[in-house]
Parts: sequence; C-alpha cells; structure tokens
Amino acid sequence: MSSNRVAAAAVVAIAVALFAATFWFEQMPEGITRGFGAEAFPRLVLGTIVVLAVLLAFVSPTGEALPRIPPMVYYTSASLLAFMALVPVTGMLPAMFLFLAGLGYLWGERRHWLLLLNAGLLTVAIWAVFVKGFGVQLPHSFLFPS
Amino acid sequence: MEAFLAGMALLLDPKILLVVFAGTVIGIIVGALPGISGSTTTALLLPFTIPMGPVPAIAFLGAIYCAANFGGSITAILVNSPGDPSASATAFDGYPMAVKGEAGRALGMSAVASAIGGIFSVVVLIIAAPLLARVAYSFGPPEYFALAVFGLSMVAMSGGDSMLKNLIAGAFGVWLATIGRDLTTGVERYTFGIHSFSDGIEFIPVLIGLFALTELLEQASQLRNKAWVAKLGAVRLPSWDDVRKCSKAIWLSSAIGTFIGILPALGATTAAMIAYVETKRWSKNKAEFGKGAIEGVAGPEAANNAAVGGAMVPTLALGIPGSTTTAIILAGLIVQGVRPGPHLFTEQPLLLYAVFSSMLLANLLYLVLGLGFAKVFARISLVPAPLLWPAVFVLSVIGAYAPNQAMAEVWVAIAFGFIGFFMRRYGFSPAPLVIGLVLGRMVEETLKQSLLIFDLNWSGFLGRPIAMTLFGLTVLFLLGPFLLQRLRGRP
Repeated sequence: MSSNRVAAAAVVAIAVALFAATFWFEQMPEGITRGFGAEAFPRLVLGTIVVLAVLLAFVSPTGEALPRIPPMVYYTSASLLAFMALVPVTGMLPAMFLFLAGLGYLWGERRHWLLLLNAGLLTVAIWAVFVKGFGVQLPHSFLFPS
Repeated sequence: MEAFLAGMALLLDPKILLVVFAGTVIGIIVGALPGISGSTTTALLLPFTIPMGPVPAIAFLGAIYCAANFGGSITAILVNSPGDPSASATAFDGYPMAVKGEAGRALGMSAVASAIGGIFSVVVLIIAAPLLARVAYSFGPPEYFALAVFGLSMVAMSGGDSMLKNLIAGAFGVWLATIGRDLTTGVERYTFGIHSFSDGIEFIPVLIGLFALTELLEQASQLRNKAWVAKLGAVRLPSWDDVRKCSKAIWLSSAIGTFIGILPALGATTAAMIAYVETKRWSKNKAEFGKGAIEGVAGPEAANNAAVGGAMVPTLALGIPGSTTTAIILAGLIVQGVRPGPHLFTEQPLLLYAVFSSMLLANLLYLVLGLGFAKVFARISLVPAPLLWPAVFVLSVIGAYAPNQAMAEVWVAIAFGFIGFFMRRYGFSPAPLVIGLVLGRMVEETLKQSLLIFDLNWSGFLGRPIAMTLFGLTVLFLLGPFLLQRLRGRP
C-alpha cells in the first residue's frame, strides 16, 4: 500500500476512535447545551478530518516509498523512554546526567571526559537555574525521596 | 503617539534591554545551529518566559524570532546547511561565495540586508497593525469565526507540499484544542481521567514535542551526514559598490517579504524563495546567480527578515498567526493572560509598542553583533551532535515540566515528539497543527456564540457581509489552485 494510503487509513482509524469516544461524554440537559452540546464541535472537526483523509486516499493515492527507519531512531526512542522510567527511581537530575552521557555515547562520542564534563556541567546548570533560581520542585524519587 | 513614545522609553529599562540582548544573542546562536530553527527555539524557551511578565516575555521571543532568521544565514553561507529553513535560499549563492573565499563579504551583506528588511517590516507593522485592528474592532463573533476559518484555510498552503495533508494536520490541531472542559456545559472531553488535561492541553509540551523532540529523532536518523565547512575570512562591511548593486534587490525583497509575512500561514521561507526568484528576474546579472551572486544573498535575507514584522501584523491585530513562530508567540501571549486582537490596541497599547520597539532594537543589535561576531557564532555550528542533542532533550524535559511541575506534561512532550516524527515521515508538517491548536478554541467559541446569536440558524451568517466575504475568500484560497490547474488544462 502507498504511504499516502497508509497515512489516510491511520488518520481515519484515529478519527473514528475519537468520534466514538464522544458517545461517552457526560450528557447534559437541553437547557444547558442550548442545542450545541460538548460533543458537537469535536464531531464536526473529526468528520471533516475523515472526509479529508478519504480525499487524500483517492486524490493522491501514490506517495513516495519511505526509507526504513534507521536503528538509531529506535535506540534513541528507547533511551527517551528509559529516561522517563529512571526519573521515579533516581530522580530527575541523576537521570539527566545518565541520559546526557549515555545518549552522547550511543551517538558515537568516545571522549569520555568530554561526555562526563558536558553531562556534569549541564546538570549543575539546570539545578542552579531551575531548582535554586526558579524554585522548581523536582519529582521525588525512590533512591532520593527528600 | 504617547503610547509609542512610552513603548520606546521602555527600551531604557535595563531589564528589557537585557532580555532583548539575550534574545538576540540566543536567536543568532540557535539560528546558526543546523536543525534548531527559530520556531524550535521559541517553543523550547517559552516556559522560561512565564515568570518574566508579558512585556519582557514578548520582547524576548520577538528578539529571538528576528535574530534566528539572520543566524540561519551564517551556516547557510559557511556550511551550506541553513540553520533555519528560511535561510535555504541564502545558501544558493552564499555558499558559492564562501567557496570562492568571499564568506566575509557574504556574511556582511547578509547582516546589512537582514537589518534593512527587518526594520522596513517593523515600520510597516507599526503603521498597518493599528489600521487593521481599527477595521477588526467592529467585528462580532460571526466575523471572528469567519476570520478564524479563513486563517485555518491558509494552513493549506503552510508547511508541507500537500494541501490535503496540511488541512488534516490543521484540523487535528483544532481537535486537540477541544481536549478539556467544555466552556458552555462544563463537560470534560478526552481527559481520560488525567487531572491536568481538564483545563485543556497545554501549548508548551505540545510545541516542545513537535519541534525539539521531533528534531532530536530526525537528527538520530541523519547522524552520518557531515558538511564541509568553508574557511571564514574577516567579516567586513560590504563595499559601497556592493550596497549600490544590491539596493534594488533589498528594497524589492523587503516589500515582498513584508507582504508575504502578513498573509496568514505563509512564512519567511516562502518569502525568501519568492524574493530570490524575483531578485534574479529583475537583476542585470542573471548568469551569476547560483555561482555566488551577492544579490542572491541580499534578496532572500532582506525578505526573510521582512516577513518577521509582516507576520506579526495579523498576529497582534487579529490574533491570527502569520507563521509557525508567531503561532508560538501567540501561545506565549495567551500563557501570559493576554489575548491578542484589536482590543489590545486600546487596552494594552504599551505592550504593543514595547513589542515594536524591542523588534526594532533586535534588528539593530544583530546588525552590530552579526558584523562583529559572526566568526564566533559560526563556531557554534561545530558543536558535535552527540553533545548538542542530548542537551536539547534535557532542556525540553525541564521546559515541559517546570510550568506546572507535572511529569504528565513531559509525557505529553515525548508523545508529541513521536507524533511529530511520524507526521514528518508521512509528509505532514507540524506547522498547520500548531496553527490549528492556537486557533481551535477561537473557532469553537465564536461558532457557538454566533449560533446563539442566530438562534441556531446557520443561515444567519448570510446576513453578515464581512463574514460572507471572508468565507468567500476561504473558498477561493482552497479551490483556487485546483481551478487554476483546470484552466491550464493539467490533470
């Protein structure tokens, strides 16, 4: 199937699912909705999206053949998710330090001192500006609960 | 006039001066970094503007917007890799000039043309925006609804090449704006039990995800590409002969850029491309173009900076963004509790004139900084990707987290990073989505208000000539390209 048809099919599937979700919205009496309920506008928009996606599938059915997604994109995506998993365990700042050094290494930087220096400086800068400067409360973690 | 003078006087405030200076330097630096555009930067730095207050925040974002377009030309000329998409046309002749050993001359002309184009458009902004606002002041909900729909129709031509894909992305952005509590009934929509979604989806994490995190994943897929870096001689002022040779190109392109910038959803990149073509068309040295013509640098640079001021006209006067970055600036104003539109000119004239004067200052600053420090800024492009992009992610995380101090917002940013990656892969531009998200609430609110005025009778719009004119323009813009194709006999 061409990339445009794949995209159109995905858009229709998402729009139909979101349209279906409007049937679970809380129902309000006519006196409050005044003929235009909370579901009306999302349905109008999603209906428009479905029509446009169907048009895309038939008006531009071809679309370029897409190259494979390079493995590095998967590794990078996994590292983003690993960072999110690490935050509740180590806390945000240690997770940032590990992420900065880890992704830099994954992307091919082999000067360890530079990776550690970059990770250390940036983590300290974020702590100084946000935690000390703006008073941002970082999320609590399992290892460092306070 | 008093408000204008008061706005100019704000430039004497050291805090404003500092944020404009910082915004200009940051704008030039990030503009010079390939992959990080002005829109990515404004999205990334938007959370940091929240504690600043409205005037410094908008002055800061405006300065970044002005300077990033110029910064993009540095790497376009030196590395043949435009730091900002709007500098793509600059590379056509700027890079050949650098290869010939004229990098300094090209950078000097870029700074001069950018500053002239930028200042020209801010002057137009100062004159045109209040006039447009005066016309719009008589608008009611039906006219605003028609205007918002017209703005949305313009997304068809923004971003990617496919009009249908742009419209789908724009409509998806409008749908995103429906997340949260319905204003009329109080019913929660698509919140899925997540408390922070009740007040609607936050602009900041969506913008950070769509721009910064999507670009991180894009960079991950292009790690092996390396550019050849031209040697940079001293940056020098263009000679009087150069200025004379380019003056026609600069003024023509400044006018083109300002006009294109004013049109909703057409931005600096389009302006620069059209200006390049027109500069070549009206030049006596057509044969030099593509081989290192200095006019080929002056034209696009004047136009892409002129588009900045132009794009601010509908943004401030009507609340309709003229480009992706102005959509983000609009989000910045909304976050500050300021709703752009004609009433701004009567209610908060000081804020507006502060924006105008800070943009003027930013244009002068990057002329000075561009001529003095281009060589230093150019070195920024040599920061290795394995150090730069993980840092962008970490800043994205803290940027998404800090405003509400909620990890849910970081998840939203990451989710939109993935969504943006797949959108780009399948040819959907994120720009229409952002414009749809910004305009979505206005579309729904004004539609509801209009239908209440018309007693739920859609034909009520027929009695509103301005609204009908705007609907007519919407149809014309959407169907015009198809009709033109038919008239020319193409399939």
